[in-house]
Amino acid sequence: MRRVVVLVFLLAGMQLILPLGVPGHGSELLLTFGFLIIAAYSAGELAAAAGLPRIIGYLFSGVLFGPHVMGVAPAPVVHDLEPVSQLAIALIAFLAGAELRWPEVRARGRAILTITLSELLVDFVLLSALMAVIGSRLPFLQGDVRSTIAFGALFAAICIVHSPAVTLALLNETRAGGPVARTTLGVVLVSDVVVVLLFSAVLAVTRAAIPPQGAPGLGIGGTIWEILGAVVVGGLLGLAVAAYLRVASRELFLFAIVVAFIGVVIAGLTHVETLLTLLTAGFVTENVSRPEQGEAFRRAMERSAAPVFVVFFALAGAEIAVADLTRLWIFVVPIVLVRVAGIWLGTRVGARLASVPREGRLVWMGLVSQSGVAIGLAAVLAQAYPDRGDAVRTVFLAVVALNELVGPILFRAALGRAGELHAPPVDASAEEATA
Amino acid sequence: MGTTKGLLLVVIAGAAFFGSRIAFGWLGRRWIVVSGAEYLLLGVILGPHAAGLLSRETLDSFAPFTSLAIGWIGAQIGARLILPTLVRIPARLYRVAIVESLLTVATVTAIMTVALAWWLPLPWEMALTPALALGGIATVASEGSVRVAAESAPDRGPVLEQLEVSAAASSVIAIAVISFILAVHHVAPAGPGRPPTTTEWAVINAGIGIVGGALFHLFLGDDVTADRLFISMAGALILVSGAAEFIRVSPLLATLWFGAVLANTTRHPTRIVASLDRVQRPLYFALLIFGGANWHPSVHAWALPVALFLIVRIGARVGSGRLSARWNGELPALGEQWSWGLVGQGGLAVAIALSYVFQDNLPLPNIVLTAAILSVLLTEVLSARLIQALLRFRFAAAIRRAPAPNHEAR
Repeated sequence: MRRVVVLVFLLAGMQLILPLGVPGHGSELLLTFGFLIIAAYSAGELAAAAGLPRIIGYLFSGVLFGPHVMGVAPAPVVHDLEPVSQLAIALIAFLAGAELRWPEVRARGRAILTITLSELLVDFVLLSALMAVIGSRLPFLQGDVRSTIAFGALFAAICIVHSPAVTLALLNETRAGGPVARTTLGVVLVSDVVVVLLFSAVLAVTRAAIPPQGAPGLGIGGTIWEILGAVVVGGLLGLAVAAYLRVASRELFLFAIVVAFIGVVIAGLTHVETLLTLLTAGFVTENVSRPEQGEAFRRAMERSAAPVFVVFFALAGAEIAVADLTRLWIFVVPIVLVRVAGIWLGTRVGARLASVPREGRLVWMGLVSQSGVAIGLAAVLAQAYPDRGDAVRTVFLAVVALNELVGPILFRAALGRAGELHAPPVDASAEEATA
Repeated sequence: MGTTKGLLLVVIAGAAFFGSRIAFGWLGRRWIVVSGAEYLLLGVILGPHAAGLLSRETLDSFAPFTSLAIGWIGAQIGARLILPTLVRIPARLYRVAIVESLLTVATVTAIMTVALAWWLPLPWEMALTPALALGGIATVASEGSVRVAAESAPDRGPVLEQLEVSAAASSVIAIAVISFILAVHHVAPAGPGRPPTTTEWAVINAGIGIVGGALFHLFLGDDVTADRLFISMAGALILVSGAAEFIRVSPLLATLWFGAVLANTTRHPTRIVASLDRVQRPLYFALLIFGGANWHPSVHAWALPVALFLIVRIGARVGSGRLSARWNGELPALGEQWSWGLVGQGGLAVAIALSYVFQDNLPLPNIVLTAAILSVLLTEVLSARLIQALLRFRFAAAIRRAPAPNHEAR
C-alpha cells in the first residue's frame, strides 16, 4: 500500500515536471522509462503478494500506464523504448541458450523433440480447422475458399508459437529447475525454430497460390539462410565470447550487454533470425567455456537483464490494445480456447509417445504464453499482404494479449503442482548417468 | 550500409577493442594503473566520425542512457555525504579543501577565458561560459584514486585525510559549477506562463533530487535485498535523471541530492553505497564509450586550448593547494606538494563535459569534451601512483622528523 501511495506522488510529480520540458528535446524517454520500472516493480511485488507471477504485475502496470489506458507512457515513447525490448529479447535468448547444457540435451532431447512436434502439429491442425469454420466472419479470411484456407493456415502457423521470454523470466523468478521446468523450456526453444520453418513453408505455398501485392519478402533460400545462418552466426559469436572469457573475464556486466547489442547488430546485418542467433550463441558459450567462466558470465547477464526484464514486460503490457481485446472477444476467446486445447492434446500425445507421461500432464500449462517471434512473423505477413496483414495483426495481438495474461499464471501453477517452485535444479549429467 | 562493410566494421571495432584492452591490460599490470582508454577508443571507432556503426541518430536515441550514467555518478558522490560522518571531520580540512578548489576554478576560468577569447577569437562573455565549464572540470579530482591509494598507504596521515576531504569537496563544487552554467543558459520551456529564473531552475534542479530521494526512501521501506534494491534503485535513479534531463538541468545535481537524502535517511547507507558501486565501473566505461562516440574534431582550432588547459590545470591545482595550505596554516603538516594528489581525474570530469555538450546551445562544446577526455586519460593513468608516491614521501619525512630514541633513558 505504501508503494502505491508513493507511486501516486510520483505520478503527480511527473505532471508538475511535464510543462517544464523543453520543446523538441524528446527526452521524455528516460523519465517514462524510470517511472515504468518503479511502477512495474511495485505491481510485480503486489502480484507476488497475491500469489501470482511477478510478470503479471509487470504486464498489468504496462496496460494501466500505457497509451491505451492512462497514457503516462505515450505511444511515441513506447516506440522509442523499442531498443530496450530488442536488448531484452537478445538477453533472454542468450540466457535461454545458456540454460541448455549438452548433457541435458542428450538426456532429454528425444522427449523434447517428440512433444514439440506433436504439440505443434495438433495445434496447427485444430487452429486451421477453426479458421476454416469461422471463415469470412474474420476480415482477413474473406474471399474464395482458397484464400480462406491459405490465410487461415498462415494465421494458425503464427498462432502456435510460444514465449521463451515468459518461460525464462518465470524460471528465473521461481528458480525452478526440475523435469517439468527443463522440458517446458526445451519445448519452447525448439518450437521457435520449428514454427519459423513451418510459417516460411506455409507462406511460400500461399505465395504460389495467391501472389502477394506487397513486398516480395524472403524466398525459400532466404528463409533457409535465416535459420541456418542464425546457427552459424550464433555459433561464431558464442565461440568469440568463450574465447574472450578465457583471455579476460573482467567487467562481465558491461560485456554481457555489449554481447547482446552486438548480436542484434550482426543478426540484422547478416539477415538472420535474431532470437535463434543469440540462443545459439548462449548455448555455444555455455558449453564451450570453462564451467566457472560460463557460470560467471551467465550470472552477469542475469544481473544486467533484471531491470531490462521488468521494463520489457511492462512495454509488452503497454502494447496490449484493450479496445481491440474487447471489440474482438467473440473471435479471440474461441481461438484461445482451441489453441489451449490443441496444446493440451498435442503435449499429452507427445509425452505418451516419448514415454514421459508425468511431464505430459503438466508441460502444456507452460506453453500457453505467447509473444516475441510471433509478433515478428505477423509483421512479415503484413509486409507481404498489406491488405490482410493489418487485420491479421490486430486479431493476433488480441489473442497474444489474452494468452500473455493467462499463460504465466498457468505455468506457475504447473511448477507448483510439480513441486518445482524454488526446488534445487536437476543435475542433468547425474540424471543421464542414472539413465 | 552494406552487409560486408557492416560486418567488417563490427570486426574492426571488436579487434580494436580487444587489442587496446590487452595493451592497456599489460600497461596496467606493468605500471599498476587502471584505465578505460580502450572504451573511449571503442566509442570513437563506433561513432559517426569513424565506422559509423553508431550513427548520429542512434547516439541521440542513446542520449538519455548517457544521462543515466551521468546521474549515477552524481548519486554515488551524494551517497557518501553522510552527515554524522561529515560533522566529525575537523573544520580546517574543509577550509583547505574549499579554498583550494575555488582557487583552482577561478584560476583556470580566468586563464582559459583570456586564451579562448584571444586564440579563437571570441567575445569575452562568450568565452567565459566554456572557460567556467573547464574551470569546473579542472577542480574534479579522482576520489577513486585517493581510495585506492589509501588502501595501500602505510598509515593515515594528515595528507591522506586532506586528500579525501578535498576530493569529495571538489566534486561537489564541480557539480555546483556545471549546474550553475546550465541554470544560467537555460532554454525557456514550451509551457505557457513566465519561464523560471536562474535561481528557480537551480531550486527545481535540487528539488527533483530531494523529493525523489525522500519518496524513494518511503518506497524502499525495509526492503533491502541486494537484487531488489538494485532494480528499484535503478528505476528511481533513471526517473530522477530523466526528470532532470527532460527539463534540461543537470542530472548530476539532482542525483547528488537524491543520493545524499537517501543515504542520510536510510538505516542501511552502506547497502545503498554498495548497490550504487555495483555498476560503477560498467557505467563509467559506458560513459567513456558514449564520450568517445560523441567526440568529433572541433570546427575551431582546438589543440592549443586543450593543451593549455592540461598545463594550466596542473599548475593551478598545485599552486592553489600550496596557497590554501599556507593561508590556513596547514603547510607544515601537509607539505608543499600535497595537492599533487588531486591531479588525477575520474568519470565525473567526463560526466560534466557531456552535460555541457548535451545542452546544445552552449559555445565550444567539443573543446570542453576533448579537454575533459584527454585530461582524464592522461591523469587517471598516473593518479594512484602519484598519491602513493606522495604518501610514501610524507611518511619517510615524518620518520626523519621524529625524535631519535632516548638511549640514556633506556
